[in-house]
Amino acid sequence: MIGLKKYFFLILVVFAFACQRQKEPRTIPVEDFFKSQSRVGYRISPDGKNLSYLKLEGKNRNIYVEDIETGKGKSITHLEGMNIVFYFWVSSNELIYYKEIDAATNQSDIFIVDKEGKNERALVSNEKSRLRVIEDQLIDDKYLMVSSNRRDSTVFDVYRLNVRDGGMEMIAKNPGNIVDWRTDSEGKLRLATSSDGVNSTFLYRASESQPFKPMLTSDFKDTFRPIAFSHSQPNIIYAISNINRDKAALVEVDCNTGKELKNLFCNDTLNITDAQYSTKKRKMSFVVYETWKKEKYFLDDSVKQVYEDLDKLLPKTETRIFDMDEAENVFLLRTFTDKNPGSYYLYFVNTGKLRKLGDFNASIKEDEMSEMKPVSYHSRDGLLIHGYLTLPLHEKAENLPVVVLPHDGPVSRTLWGYNPEVQLLANRGYAVFQINYRGSSGYGKNFVAAGFKQWGDKIQDDIDDGVKWLVKRKIADPKRIGIYGIGFGGYIALNGLYLSPSTYACAVSNSGVINLFTYLKSIPPYQKPNLQMYYELIGNPLTDIDKLRKTSPLFQTDKINAPILLVQNSKDPINNQGEVTQFVKNLKKRNVSITYLEDDGDMYAGKNQPLRHQFYKTLDEFLEFNLKRK
Amino acid sequence: MASEKKDGYRKNFSLILTFIILMSVLFLLSLVLAYRFSTKYIENEFVSEKVNVLEQSIQPYNDFFQKKLPEVSFYNGYLDSATAAAFVDTVLLEYPFVSKVVFYDSEVSNTPVSDGLNTGKFSFGPKNIYQFGSLVPLDSVRLFSRDNTSSFIVGDDFNTLALKLVSFIESLDTTQVPGQDALFSNFSNVRSNKITYLNIPRFEDLKVYKEMLRKQLQPNPVYQQDMMSFQLDPYKIKIINTQPLLYQYVKIAPLTYDPLDTTAVYLSTEINLPGPFSDYKLYFISSKSFIEREIFSYFLPIALAILFFYGILVLVAVLIYRNLNINQKMFKLQYDFVNNLTHEFKTPVSVIKIAGNNIKSASSLTDRELKLYGKILDEEADKLNGLMNKLLAFTQIENKAIELNRDKIRIIDFLESTVETHRLKHPDFDFTYEVSGFTTFVTDPVLLGSLFDNLAENAYKYSPPERKQLHITAKLAKGKVVFRFTDKGIGIPASEINNIFKKFFRIQNQYNQNGSVGLGLAFCKELVNFMDGEITVKSKVNKGSEFKIVLPYNDY
Repeated sequence: MIGLKKYFFLILVVFAFACQRQKEPRTIPVEDFFKSQSRVGYRISPDGKNLSYLKLEGKNRNIYVEDIETGKGKSITHLEGMNIVFYFWVSSNELIYYKEIDAATNQSDIFIVDKEGKNERALVSNEKSRLRVIEDQLIDDKYLMVSSNRRDSTVFDVYRLNVRDGGMEMIAKNPGNIVDWRTDSEGKLRLATSSDGVNSTFLYRASESQPFKPMLTSDFKDTFRPIAFSHSQPNIIYAISNINRDKAALVEVDCNTGKELKNLFCNDTLNITDAQYSTKKRKMSFVVYETWKKEKYFLDDSVKQVYEDLDKLLPKTETRIFDMDEAENVFLLRTFTDKNPGSYYLYFVNTGKLRKLGDFNASIKEDEMSEMKPVSYHSRDGLLIHGYLTLPLHEKAENLPVVVLPHDGPVSRTLWGYNPEVQLLANRGYAVFQINYRGSSGYGKNFVAAGFKQWGDKIQDDIDDGVKWLVKRKIADPKRIGIYGIGFGGYIALNGLYLSPSTYACAVSNSGVINLFTYLKSIPPYQKPNLQMYYELIGNPLTDIDKLRKTSPLFQTDKINAPILLVQNSKDPINNQGEVTQFVKNLKKRNVSITYLEDDGDMYAGKNQPLRHQFYKTLDEFLEFNLKRK
Repeated sequence: MASEKKDGYRKNFSLILTFIILMSVLFLLSLVLAYRFSTKYIENEFVSEKVNVLEQSIQPYNDFFQKKLPEVSFYNGYLDSATAAAFVDTVLLEYPFVSKVVFYDSEVSNTPVSDGLNTGKFSFGPKNIYQFGSLVPLDSVRLFSRDNTSSFIVGDDFNTLALKLVSFIESLDTTQVPGQDALFSNFSNVRSNKITYLNIPRFEDLKVYKEMLRKQLQPNPVYQQDMMSFQLDPYKIKIINTQPLLYQYVKIAPLTYDPLDTTAVYLSTEINLPGPFSDYKLYFISSKSFIEREIFSYFLPIALAILFFYGILVLVAVLIYRNLNINQKMFKLQYDFVNNLTHEFKTPVSVIKIAGNNIKSASSLTDRELKLYGKILDEEADKLNGLMNKLLAFTQIENKAIELNRDKIRIIDFLESTVETHRLKHPDFDFTYEVSGFTTFVTDPVLLGSLFDNLAENAYKYSPPERKQLHITAKLAKGKVVFRFTDKGIGIPASEINNIFKKFFRIQNQYNQNGSVGLGLAFCKELVNFMDGEITVKSKVNKGSEFKIVLPYNDY
């Protein structure tokens, strides 16, 4: 009996230990968060019979085409390295791919190949010009509508490219300021956008034989984004517009007058960021608006039905359809949640069947990830600021070390969803605080405009007020708050160290701007309207010279005392490498701890995985040393 | 025997003397060498330390050159007169050697300029020129403007750097980003007492500049460039004398400065200033006496250290000599002891041998003879036995091998029996005693008896025949029993009084020519110590001695 009791006790101890173990989340290796997938770039052929993707084998990445019905696939290209940057189907039988030859200047050779991997021929090779595709389906089985800067490197003209013999015939000459060309549902070139860098003018023509006439003009504060031409009325386009509104709406515009005819979806609180048009059904399917995450409002009940069916098959997860066949029967989709990077699926509408293609990142286990909660607070001037808080798993939300993560931009935003960077930090025990400070997109025109000329000013206040809010709620340990950002976020991080010196224990800047003068100087002086826009966004270097100096980290090295991790791409045109070196030198002279990591490539490009790993490992160590030791 | 003694213990004074002389020579030699070394060292320091003075003094300039100067570039050409004035103010305040700053607010364009530089289609000229400085009057801050070109000719400073810029752009390799060093050296011009610096544009802008050399760009681009010319005053450099004990005077002097009056009483050295101050040097001068003071202060601790070690060596030598002396004495005592002991044993042994011989050789022995020989043999055997017991007891006590008995004794009875025993032995012994303060006393009677016997024997032995007296007083004082043995004997010389309790020590005199081992008093001391008491002696030669024994008093 005693022996039995002993055993019982032992079992209890083992059980308790096991429970204990469960509560202590394992430290997931950095590599697991940033695994590159072996298959990327899924596409469906227009006839819905073939699935294609880029498959990584060893160090080579090639295009594979798979028969959807039989599941048999083979590689149709045989290139060494990871040079295929982009590809698409131009017909049910043929694909075009871009083979990068110079990453720095964005130059590629372009090839066409059939789905069996035969009849490969170069369309463009060894040219200094660049080619953009306007209409990705072959016209008359041999023409592709493209724009190219072969005539003048600064402007893109429109050409009809014969994929059979490589011949190019110009069909529209760029007068010099057209930045975008659009076709209607028939593939006719009928809309052009001209821009001086600030104001965009939309030009319209009823048919290809007529000249373009200006339709309306929007400045940089406005959004006007054509979605599609109406099929029944050729002079009407659907567009997302916030001209004369705060929140963007989906509107119908008469191209002859430039006037809005009616609102398809308009709401005083919801800001439309995207809309989808179905070429098959010849009507708008849905609009996308952003609250704390992207949501859809359906304008077509049959589309709504499709999504509802999908929701039943894939409950409690976000789905994004990113490719479909012409018949709108076979969908390529991706799922995700905040805790799950998700998977790729094929969905067959007529049978209602779902086929899983692969996980985005199989190393990530959902139960080891943390929840991303939307939060909001009022900034000191009363503006409501939204953000997200991700708390480390199995830890009390009390006195935690915090990493503040301002997004790049500033006209951009943090959206709900899986973010490997955030999850990495949460796994290491930090509360991650992401803030959509004023100037962020997604909340309407006024919110964006509130960020103008507030760099290092009210934008910085929004961040600091968010931190104060966290400290007041006792979630954050005020002595262990770090700030880390990329690009503009990096600029905010560095600013935080001297504008509110006692708030942050350390800062990490990845490609952050350190000198606003240099940033403004990167706009050529002859682009006067563009320059004017930046003066309005940031400040005029002639009249606001003092303010710009006070909000440029480079001038403020005397006031910085906290440790910094600085990561800089030496080829980044926004920063002057000499100034970065000077910045580091000045801090070192003052014995401020600075870790400087220089790289010579974009670490977010797929090829640069070792660079990315090195950065995140350094980040991990840096934060550990500066936030956990205390 | 005497020669043996000499061989064993020879005091070799010449050896000791040699040692001391050699030591002293070494001491003096090391002092001399230390002084020579100090002199050389300080003289070397005088020459080499000037680098440190230069480094410290020129530090603000390096700071200015490496940290402040590039700040002009940070503005990327956007500097205006107000900001430039504010910038110059901080420069003038922080770096007193900057005396005046000329600011050229300039432009690079395709439009030819009248003042400035035109090369091909590339034009570079000032819009406005300002001068700032503490001595510049307010009305002459602006030297030049495009509306009023008459008052100032675009000077040498501007043109030199403009030419440098153009030649740099002409040879610029547009496929490769130039290094920071190349950029810095091409955008700055360091001349005597003057540094001119032009803000370094971004690489993209440089590429445009290169294009502008050859062709007219449309639309006509205008790039802002800021040039600053800093006039420097070398005499305003603050000299930081890091070695005030080495350098009496440090001053900045022109490169050609070489005073004739530097006679033998002065020591001097110099070092050139770098960069724009290269026409000047730091001149260091110190008088010889000043240097000597420094040499002495450097030498002093070394000398003290040598002295200290020498002192320790001498001390060690003295200690070794003393130990040798003591050992020699100890050897002598032991030697004497063996001698005496042999003698001591020899007497009874020879008496026994004679008695034995007599008995052996006699044909018949009378009763009286038999009794006599028996008595002799018995007595001599007792003597031997007593001798051996004494030796044994001493060794035992010395090694703490026996245990202390505790018996209660009546002190009067004890003294009476002791006195009786000695009177029987020596009828001529005048032995008296008195007791006061106590009657009984707890102690080891055997040991106490032994102690009293020894002292009584000594008193008898070391007294001339006419004064063989001993008086014992026993009294209780302050919780202790005090015994005093007072005799009228020969006394002990003061020089020997400290030695009498030592083992094997005997005073050479007529009374102990035979029959003394030199253990008696040492034994007494050991006994008293063993009983937790103390023994002391007071004595006067030829008057008598008094031994005082203090024992702890116990009555239970």
